[in-house]
Amino acid sequence: MSESLLETVGIYKSFVGVQALKNVSFSMQPGEIHCLAGENGSGKSTLIKVISGVYTPDAGHIEFQGKQYKKISPIDAINNGIQVIYQDFSVFPNLTVMENLAFNNELAEGRRLVNWKRMKSIAEEALSKINVSIDLDAYVGTLSVAEKQMIAISRALMQDARLIIMDEPTTALTKKEVTNLFEIITQLKAQGIATLFVSHKLNEVFEISERFTILRSGEVVASGATSDLDDRKFSFYMTGREFEKRNFKAENVSKNPIFRAEKAGLSNHFSDISFSLRQGEIIGITGLLDSGRTELALSMFGVRPIDKGTFFVDEKPVSIRSPRDAINYDIGYVPEDRLSEGLFLSQSIADNIVISKIDQLTKKAGVLDKEQRSKEVARWVENLAIATPDANNASQTLSGGNQQRIVLAKWLACNPRILVMNGPTVGVDIGSKHDIHGILHDLAKNGIGIIIFSDDLPEVIENCSRILVMKNGTIVTELSPENTDEKMILSYML
Amino acid sequence: MKKILAFALIVLLLGPTLFAAGQAEKKTGYEIVVVPKDASNPWFVRMKVGVDEYAKETGLNVYQRGTAQIDATLQAQLVQDLIAQGVDAICVVPVDLESLEPVLGQARDAGIVVIAHEGADLENVDYDIEAFSNAGYGAFIMDNLAEAMGGEGLYTTMVASLTNGSHNEWANAGVAHQKATYPKMKLLEQEPRVESNDNGDVAYNVAKELFKKYPNLKGVMGTSSYDAPGVARAIQELGLVDKAFTSGTGMPLDNAELLESGVVKSLTLWDPALAGKAMISLAVKVLDGEEITEPVDLGVEGYTNMMFRKGSSTVLEGEGWIVINADNVYDFGF
Amino acid sequence: MDTTRTLLKKLSRRNEPYIFLVLLALCLLIEFRSGQFFSSNNLVDIASALIVPGLFAIGTFLVIISGGIDVSFPALASLSMYATTKYLLDINYQGGVWAAILMALVIGALLGAFNGLFIGYFKLPALIVTLGSSSVFKGIMQGALNSKQLTIIPSGMRNWGTSAIFTARNPVSGLTSRMPVAFIAFVIVLLFVFFILKYTMFGRGIYAIGGSEVSAHRAGFNVVRTKVVMYIMVGMIASLAGVIRACMMQQAHPTNMLGMEMNIIAGVVLGGTAITGGRGTLLGCMLGTLLIVIVENSMILLGIPTSYRSVFTGAMIIIGTGISAYQVMHMNKTHSKRTKSKEAA
Repeated sequence: MSESLLETVGIYKSFVGVQALKNVSFSMQPGEIHCLAGENGSGKSTLIKVISGVYTPDAGHIEFQGKQYKKISPIDAINNGIQVIYQDFSVFPNLTVMENLAFNNELAEGRRLVNWKRMKSIAEEALSKINVSIDLDAYVGTLSVAEKQMIAISRALMQDARLIIMDEPTTALTKKEVTNLFEIITQLKAQGIATLFVSHKLNEVFEISERFTILRSGEVVASGATSDLDDRKFSFYMTGREFEKRNFKAENVSKNPIFRAEKAGLSNHFSDISFSLRQGEIIGITGLLDSGRTELALSMFGVRPIDKGTFFVDEKPVSIRSPRDAINYDIGYVPEDRLSEGLFLSQSIADNIVISKIDQLTKKAGVLDKEQRSKEVARWVENLAIATPDANNASQTLSGGNQQRIVLAKWLACNPRILVMNGPTVGVDIGSKHDIHGILHDLAKNGIGIIIFSDDLPEVIENCSRILVMKNGTIVTELSPENTDEKMILSYML
Repeated sequence: MKKILAFALIVLLLGPTLFAAGQAEKKTGYEIVVVPKDASNPWFVRMKVGVDEYAKETGLNVYQRGTAQIDATLQAQLVQDLIAQGVDAICVVPVDLESLEPVLGQARDAGIVVIAHEGADLENVDYDIEAFSNAGYGAFIMDNLAEAMGGEGLYTTMVASLTNGSHNEWANAGVAHQKATYPKMKLLEQEPRVESNDNGDVAYNVAKELFKKYPNLKGVMGTSSYDAPGVARAIQELGLVDKAFTSGTGMPLDNAELLESGVVKSLTLWDPALAGKAMISLAVKVLDGEEITEPVDLGVEGYTNMMFRKGSSTVLEGEGWIVINADNVYDFGF
Repeated sequence: MDTTRTLLKKLSRRNEPYIFLVLLALCLLIEFRSGQFFSSNNLVDIASALIVPGLFAIGTFLVIISGGIDVSFPALASLSMYATTKYLLDINYQGGVWAAILMALVIGALLGAFNGLFIGYFKLPALIVTLGSSSVFKGIMQGALNSKQLTIIPSGMRNWGTSAIFTARNPVSGLTSRMPVAFIAFVIVLLFVFFILKYTMFGRGIYAIGGSEVSAHRAGFNVVRTKVVMYIMVGMIASLAGVIRACMMQQAHPTNMLGMEMNIIAGVVLGGTAITGGRGTLLGCMLGTLLIVIVENSMILLGIPTSYRSVFTGAMIIIGTGISAYQVMHMNKTHSKRTKSKEAA
């Protein structure tokens, strides 16, 4: 093997009995863009911390530019040109861009006094390395996430970085910002700087990286060139499970629609929307971010009531002006951003599940019926296979996939007949995604009408019996999943 | 760590009790004990001077015993020890009325005569002695202020806070006395009463403001012991010596310089030595079985014409105020 | 022209101009009610009343910027002032004030290190630590030092406390006010702390820690050392204030500084210092403190009835904080809106 930039050899690391890393070996060449993938808890973060010197491995060693380290200290790591860009970017929101950029450099040089002129020139030089311009006097707290990230990257470059490690850098970025970030990573490659890119998003792995390493339960399960990787392999490596494609087929469809929209409209967002949903069906509504799909979902749940047209439930015209109205008509809603809209993160799993049917669990005197409550909770934890040792744990202790299941359980506990799902698997890992889809299929079979709002096209194709495509606030076409593919849907969306 | 903490706590709790114990004395005639709020405060050191003097004059077994620091619980314990010791009379300056009340009840049940000072609301006492009535003292301060002001001019009153009971009674009485006796003096209507928060610095700043806003202001009647000294500092700095005046409660030595330099002509006070003597004298009277009827003469200066407070059969009020000026400022030892 | 506009824009996003306007309005109101505010001796009175609260505010400002809070400084100042005065009296010290100041600074540094040790090194919450140390300091004073008011203070302190840089005389009323020499000490501390905060990595580190302790650590700041040194500094500044107070009042009173912490903290926050740490300027802090000092010392000039004075002080604090907070919030909102529309475009 030629002179590699970084090599980890047989790294072991455990924490109080839990083996976080087992015999992890992988290597990177100078200037390589390498993607480190794995589900939550697979050991990605631990590995990063071993490389950057935060953790000392129990066994194994690290080689950097041919030099071998039994353990590396954070300072050694930085002096060797290893820079980590954490998810929170390690910025100071209360200070100016200039200070954020220049501090590390000044501290590394052991300066005691501040020379504002020199700080300014350091900051300018830093930004010029990645060709971005940000007002040096702006407070970092007022910047966008992408701008903060640029600051973190350019700051890292100031210290002669040879390897930049980015921990889930795309999580909070828009599509356009991700493209920008990838351009910068490519630029860095041209300068011979390697990037270790941590992600669990399939499309990113394919788009940016040359080589990949996938961790599962602390072990390297695959490592190689990205060109050898495909969808199925990726899912398998990540989860250790084979997923057979289970395309949804609607069964026992009712004759009459349980929900119908007739020329529904919301000014500035959508207009003239007509469709119907029958029991047993899953229909998918897709479109770009500004197509009005999100607003339509919110209208169905009464958050943004329509101002034109009519909704029907069981063929009777209904007025849905608030979520309470929607709940009264047996409509459930699983929001896109479960963290801020769907869950009380610090409350227990159990409380989250029963919150929306708390009225029914209350005895006459207004006292909560504890027995009923625990029965109800046990039922849903089991039905939805929520992985928790104790339903009284706080919801934030769970992974994204399990959190999403709680949101589902919460609504299913109310026995809805119509379920509106806005981005049902955003931020959920592959295994959970598969399970949630299975749950949706079962629900439909049991007679619930489901609408999925999503721009995850494979998801829509696999799980829906009909697909409606929205563009500029109207429905432009209805497609059947059997004779459509992603390209075709995209052509209607754009 | 825990053990050390526990040990420290025990030492903290027991320490003062150990210090307070000790010194038992022989019994000849009446054994009368004066219990002040604490032993080290100069105010009560001065009280001890009176008590010791009384013992010398009469040859009675009279002494003062106080706790190391002002602490209601320790004081109650001390009184209990005295009950066990079987003294004839206890004269007490209470720290906290509520915690002392039951203990004094025990004392009286044991046949011990209980005389209190500055504890007018105590129930389990034979008598309580007050150096003066609030009305009398307020008028006395006003006399001192009026003398300094030459009996004419604009003045105002200062209290620790508007909610302080006795300060406001003194001030009210002072104003009433001025209206009756000094027609040429006038209360500042816009600011008839200001607050010092028992803080010399506040008194100083408030006085500065008063003299700035009301150039005709000529006098400030102080009540708390921080008032007049604070006002005096302002008078000095503003260049108003001999143009503006103040009087009120004040400790002698603390204000020696102000009195000697003439910034303040006189301050008012009551003498704890005399109060101590008066308490013992009254205790002896009760032990002797004398009937206590108005006016009570205890044979102590300022306590020769004592009257019961209106509506009370236990609280006796004297005229035990004193003037402190450049001549007698060093006579008290505090 | 363009630069003035950007300057104005920058200023409008800061909090100082608004607090300055509130201050100006208050001064004009006092002048209107009394005709005395802008007289030379009154201004000197205000300046002299600012010295002790001003020093306390500087210390509190440092602590709040670092993301902490300190409620122990009045007790700390009382203890070192009292111990110093008592010791110098006991040895019958006849020299200048320097011994008193130096001794108080040393004691203050020790007591500050006590706070710093628990907050910085053991990483305990600042509020809890300083509530505790406040009790400890008071306890030492009352227990070990058996504190009572010392009305006689060493002659050096006495003379220094009454010596004046100049004396202002009001030509109309003839009243005179001294500008105490201690004011120079206040100005020196102010300039010193300004320099530290603006031109040393230690000072920028205090801001950085207040912004994000984790980030500060990762950037290479020595977080523990910065905090400990800062609390030592704060202890020294508070002790200096304590000694100055004793000198100016010509007496050492063990308890009458206690309870000042609330209004001092209010003044610092009023001046735009974020209570969550990291944000604020020394100028704003001084303006806020000045506002509180003026309010406290102008009630009679304003003619507010005695019983309503605390209501008025409270209202001024709420209005002042409210106005500046509202303006800044408003500014940030329009700013973020602008960024968003830029992104959309």
